[in-house]
Amino acid sequence: MIIHANVFSYLIALAAAIILSLVLRLPLLPDKPMRHSWTISAVFPTAVLAVGFYAMVYELGYQGYVVALITGIITALFAKFILEKVVPVPESEESHE
Amino acid sequence: MNEILGIAIAAVISWLNFVLIDTWMGLPEAPGVKGADVIGRSIKERGGDLAGGFFQGNIVCSPDASAGTLLAAIGCYAIGTPEGGLIAAVLVYFGNRLCADPGYAGTTGALTITVIIFLTSFIGFKTEYFIIGMVLAIVTIQGLYHPGASRLLGKIAQKMGRHTKLT
Repeated sequence: MIIHANVFSYLIALAAAIILSLVLRLPLLPDKPMRHSWTISAVFPTAVLAVGFYAMVYELGYQGYVVALITGIITALFAKFILEKVVPVPESEESHE
Repeated sequence: MNEILGIAIAAVISWLNFVLIDTWMGLPEAPGVKGADVIGRSIKERGGDLAGGFFQGNIVCSPDASAGTLLAAIGCYAIGTPEGGLIAAVLVYFGNRLCADPGYAGTTGALTITVIIFLTSFIGFKTEYFIIGMVLAIVTIQGLYHPGASRLLGKIAQKMGRHTKLT
């Protein structure tokens, strides 16, 4: 199998997303018990979204460390300011919190 | 590697991947939405286990590790490893959130099967084995005999400390 991914690019996207989301005061991890938590945190889903979004732009032909850095930054901003509006917490869950 | 043998082993790996992750993430504990509750109680009425029924209801009602495993395998086959699996994880996450689910099980399942596909490629497993294997794995849970499958899932949930407290 040919691995055509640049591991460092993924790491840059991951690190940029986690660091910026921490700067934006997102928690590092979701609240406990994590499996029931709806909290948006730096590790989940921001880090997962960052590598996924970089994989998307990579496949669209935009590659490199700078692209990875920009993807990580945009992902952190997206997770902080837009994600909750795009996919809100269900009303029944909000009433429990 | 022999194709039939490869598919059989991939089915076992996929089965363990999604059942263990879904159980660990608490699918048997409670129904995420009303539909999962209805399915769980219907399976119980037919002689099944309630926790196993909730598990089966939850994987019908939102894309959990079962869908994550299948979509990541398809993504790796169509796009490449690991990009396909990572893209699948993002899509599964959004699918989860649209289905009133926080998304841990689905994304974890997609990411773990991507790693497994990558590692097993070194010993001759093709990505398509995991697509067929996952279809076979999900048939054993959802397609053959619901009460029997739910009792097995209930026992696994009991062992992992995730059995439901609901009655």
